[in-house]
Amino acid sequence: MIRDRNRRATPLRLVDSDERPGAHEVAPSARDLDWTILMARAQDGDRAAYLRVLQEVTPYLRSLAARRHRDPHDIEDAVQDILLTIHSIRQTYDPARPFGPWLATIANRRLIDRLRRQGRRKNREITLTLDHEAVSAPEAHLDHSPDRHELAKAINDLPPMQQQALRLLKIKEMSLKEAAAVSGVSIASLKVNVHRAMKSLRKMLLDRSEP
Amino acid sequence: MITTPDLIASLATRMTPVRRLRPPAFRAAGWLLLAAIILALLAVNQGIRPDLVERLREPAFALRMLGAVLTAILAAIAAFMVSLPDRSRLWLLLPAPALAIWLLNIGYQCLTDWIAIGPEGMSPGEAARCFATLVLTSLPLSLTMLVMLRYSASLRPTAVALMGSLAIAAITATALSLFHTIDASLMILMWNVGTAAMFVGLAGTFGRRMFEWVALRSCRRN
Repeated sequence: MIRDRNRRATPLRLVDSDERPGAHEVAPSARDLDWTILMARAQDGDRAAYLRVLQEVTPYLRSLAARRHRDPHDIEDAVQDILLTIHSIRQTYDPARPFGPWLATIANRRLIDRLRRQGRRKNREITLTLDHEAVSAPEAHLDHSPDRHELAKAINDLPPMQQQALRLLKIKEMSLKEAAAVSGVSIASLKVNVHRAMKSLRKMLLDRSEP
Repeated sequence: MITTPDLIASLATRMTPVRRLRPPAFRAAGWLLLAAIILALLAVNQGIRPDLVERLREPAFALRMLGAVLTAILAAIAAFMVSLPDRSRLWLLLPAPALAIWLLNIGYQCLTDWIAIGPEGMSPGEAARCFATLVLTSLPLSLTMLVMLRYSASLRPTAVALMGSLAIAAITATALSLFHTIDASLMILMWNVGTAAMFVGLAGTFGRRMFEWVALRSCRRN
C-alpha cells in the first residue's frame, strides 16, 4: 500500500529498479526501459513498436524456456504460447511499472502450466515396446512381405554364380574365407560376382519401382 | 506449425489499441460499490431485520459484522491485485486478519453460548428467504467479478477465484445477517461458514474453468 502511494506521487517514473521485482527474473534495466516505452506505445496502437518489442523479447523468452525444456520444438512452442498470452492480456501492463517482472511472471506461469500438462500426459500415456505388439514375429508384418517377394524373384533372375555369391556373403552373412571354403570358388571370383549381383539387383529393383 | 517470426508478424498486424486497466484498488472499489448498491436495493425490498440497531450494540454481533465486511473489502482488493501479473502473491494474505476475526468470533460464540434453535425456531419460509437473499446477492457479484477478472485466466486463475469467492461469501454473509433474524448458533454457523466454504469450494473446483470460458468468449468477440 505504501509503495503504491509513493508511486502516485511520482507518476512519470518509468523504472523503479530499487523496488522488489514481482517475479524471479528481471531483465537489465536499460533494456527494460526500452521495452517499457515500446509496450506503452503498443498499447496505444503503434504496430511498429509492438512488432519490435515482440521481436526483442523473443530471445529472452527462448532462454527462459530453454531452462525448462530440452526439445527445441517444445522451446519454440512454449515461446509462442507466451507470445500469445502477452497478446491477449496486453491491457494489464501498467507503463508506470517495470516491464521485466510483468513479462517474466507471464512467461513463468505459461512454462509451469506447460510442464504440468506434459507431466499429466506422461502419466497417462506409455511408449509402445515390442511387448505391446499384438503379433511380434517379423514374418507377421504383412506390409513388408511384398518387398521380400520382389527381392526373392530378382535374386532368382541372376546368373547362378552371382546367386551363389550373394546367398553366401549377403544373406547368410559369411566371411569371404568361409564362403570360399563352402563353395570351392576363389575369393577373387566371389568378390567380383557379389559386386555384379548387387549392381544388377539395384538396377532391376530401381527399374521396377520407377516405371 | 507456424514459425515464431510469422506469429509475431501476424500478432502485430492484428493488433488493435487497448485501454489500460485502471489501478487494481480503483477496480476493487468499483466492484465493492456494486455490492453496496445490491445490498441497498435488497434492504429496500426485503427490509432490514427489526432488531438490527440493538443487536449492533452487542460486541459479539458487531465484531462479527465488522469481520465479514472487512473480509469482503480486503479479499476484493487482494483478488484484483493478484489478477495482475506483476503484483506479488503475498497480497493473498491481505484478508487473513479480517477472516480470522470473523471466523474466530463465530467459533467463540458457538463455544460460549450455544443456542441450538432460536426462540421462534427456523421456519421453512425463513430458510427459503435466506436462500433467496444468498442467490440475489452472490449471483450478480460473481458474474461481474468473473467478467472483470477474465484476463487472469492465463495467470493464476485458482488463486484469483479463491479470493474473489471469499469476498462474495463475506458480502453474502453480511447480507444474511442484515436482513434475517438468524440467532441460533447453528444457523449462524451454517449461513456464515457454510456460505464461505461453499463459495470457496466452488471457486477452487470450477474457478479455472469458468475464467477460461469467459476469456475464450471475449477473445472470440475481439
